[in-house]
Amino acid sequence: MKRENEFAVGVVVIASFAVVVAGALWLSGAHLGKAEAVYTARFRTVGGLSVGTPVVLRGVRVGRVEGIRLASGNWVEADLKIYSGVTLPQKPAVIAASASLFGEWAATLVPQDQLPDDPNIRQAVAEAAAGAGTKWPGATLPDIGQLTAQASRIATDIGTVANRVQSAFDSEAVAELRRSIRDFGQVAQRLARVTNEQAEVLGSVGTNLRQGSDLLAHSATDLSATLGRVDSATNRGQLATILNNSAATSQDLRTASANLRDLTEAAHKNQESLIRVLVSADTVMSRIANRTGTLGLLVSDSTLYRETTLTMIQLRQLLSDIQANPRKYFTFSVF
Amino acid sequence: MIDRIGRRTVGLIQAVGRWGQFMADMVRALPDVTTWGRLALVQMRRVGVDSLPVALFIAAFTGVVLALQASYTFTGTVPLYFVGTLVGKTMMLELGPVLAGLALAGRVGASMAAELGTMKVTEQVDALETLAYDPQSFLVVPRVLAGTVMFPIVVALAVLVGIMTGWMTSLWLLNLSTPEFVKGLRQFYQFKDTWFGLFKSATFGFTITTVGCVVGLSTRGGAEGVGRSTTRAVVYSAVAILVLDAFWAAVLLR
Repeated sequence: MKRENEFAVGVVVIASFAVVVAGALWLSGAHLGKAEAVYTARFRTVGGLSVGTPVVLRGVRVGRVEGIRLASGNWVEADLKIYSGVTLPQKPAVIAASASLFGEWAATLVPQDQLPDDPNIRQAVAEAAAGAGTKWPGATLPDIGQLTAQASRIATDIGTVANRVQSAFDSEAVAELRRSIRDFGQVAQRLARVTNEQAEVLGSVGTNLRQGSDLLAHSATDLSATLGRVDSATNRGQLATILNNSAATSQDLRTASANLRDLTEAAHKNQESLIRVLVSADTVMSRIANRTGTLGLLVSDSTLYRETTLTMIQLRQLLSDIQANPRKYFTFSVF
Repeated sequence: MIDRIGRRTVGLIQAVGRWGQFMADMVRALPDVTTWGRLALVQMRRVGVDSLPVALFIAAFTGVVLALQASYTFTGTVPLYFVGTLVGKTMMLELGPVLAGLALAGRVGASMAAELGTMKVTEQVDALETLAYDPQSFLVVPRVLAGTVMFPIVVALAVLVGIMTGWMTSLWLLNLSTPEFVKGLRQFYQFKDTWFGLFKSATFGFTITTVGCVVGLSTRGGAEGVGRSTTRAVVYSAVAILVLDAFWAAVLLR
C-alpha cells in the first residue's frame, strides 16, 4: 500500500512539475540550450514595453525584452535578449510601438540609416544615440490610446466647429446666402451684358479707327499731293502772287465792311425815326379810340366816317406805295 | 439583544483563539517528522492523486465553456485569437485554482472533517493521546502538509487540461487554427501568471485542510455533530477560498 502511494504521488508530482516548468518555458518563449545575447537599449520612455515583449527584426521575432529599469539622466534602459544566429544591423536602433489595436507592443530593430521618415523618431533616436556608448538608441511611438485620445480631441473640435457653423448658418442665413448668390448672378449677367456692349463699342471704335486711319492715309496722300503742288507753285512764284492778291482782297473786304457798318447805323437811325412815327401814330389811334382829340371826334362823328375811311384807304395806298417804291420816299446811299 | 451580541462576540474571539492555539500546536508538531512523515504520503495520495479525476473533469469543461464564451463575446469586436489569451489567463489565474479549490473543499474538506469528527466523537483522538501520540503530528500535520503540497499539483494539471480542452474547442468548434490559439495564449503570458495560480492553490490547500482538521477535531454530539461539522467544514472552506482569492488578487495583482 505504501509503495503504491509513493508511486502514484510521485507520478503526479513529476507530471505536474514537468507541466509547470515546460509550460512556463514554452509560454514565455524561452530558448533553452541556445546562446542568447543581451543588448541594452535606452529610451526616454518605453511606452507599453514590458518584460517578455517580442523583439522584431523586419517583421520576424528575434528575441524578447528581458528587463526594464530606470537609468540616470531620465533614461529608461531595456535589456533585449536576442536569439543566437540572428544577423543584426550594423548600427541598430530600437523603435517601441504598439503592434495592434489591443495593447500588444513590440520592439522593432531598424538600422539607424533607415529610420522611418518621422522627425520625432529621428530626433528621439539622435538624442538617445548621443553619448549612448554601446547601448542602442531607442524611440517610442505613441500608442493607439494616445492616438485615439488625440483623434477624440480633434473630433470634439470638429464637432464644436460644426455646431458653430450650424448655429451661424440657420435657415435665415441660408436664405440670405441664396439671395446673395442670386443677386450675384444677376450682377454677373449685367456685367456680361455691359462687357458685350463695350466689346461692340470697342469693335465700332476699332472700325471707325480703321476708317479714320484710312482717311488719314488718304489725307496724307492728298496732303502729299498738295504739298507737291505747293512746292511746285512755290518754285514758280505763284504763291507770292496769290498772297499779294489775297492781301488786296482783304483790304477791300475791310473797306466794304466799314461801309456796311455805316449803312447799318443809318438804317438804325431810320428805324428809330419810324418807331417814333409809329408811337405818334399809336397815340393818335389811342385818342381816336378814346374819342378824344380831333380824330376821336371825327370817328365819333358818323358823317366823317367815310371821310376818315377814305383817308385810311389813302393812307394804306400811301403805305403800299411806300413799300412798293421806297426809293420814292427814302434815300439810301452806300458809297 | 445586547446579551446575544456579547455572547456572539465572545464566541468569535474564542474561535479565533482556538484556531491560533491549533496553529501553534501544529507548528510545535512539525519537528516530529518520524510521526507525520510516513503518514503524509498517504494523505498526499488521498488529497492529491485521488482528487485528480474531479479536478480534471471540472477543468476540462471549464476550458470548453471559456473558449465558447470568449468566442461569443469577441466575435465581431476582438480578434478570435484572443480566445487563447482569455482561456490561458483565466485558467491560470482564476478558474483553475478556484474551481479546483471549491471542488476539493467539498471532497477533501468534508472528508477530513467527517473522519476527524468521527474519531473525536468515538474518542479515538483521546486514545491516541493515551498512547502518547500527538494528535497534531499524527492527524493534522500530514493532512495540512498534503493539502498544501498537492493542491498546486492538482491545479497545475487541471490548468493544463483546461487549456487543452479550450484549444480543442477552438480548433473544432470555433474554426480557430492552432497557431492563432497559441499566439493568443502566449501574447500576454508572464511567469507571474504561473506562480500566482500555484501559490494561490497552495494557500487554498492549506486553508481547506486546516479548516477540515479544526472543525473535525472540535466535533461534539455524536453522529449528528459529525454531520454538522462536515457541513461547516465545506461552507467555511468555500468562504475562505473566495475571501483568500480576493485577498491575493488585491495583494499580488495590483
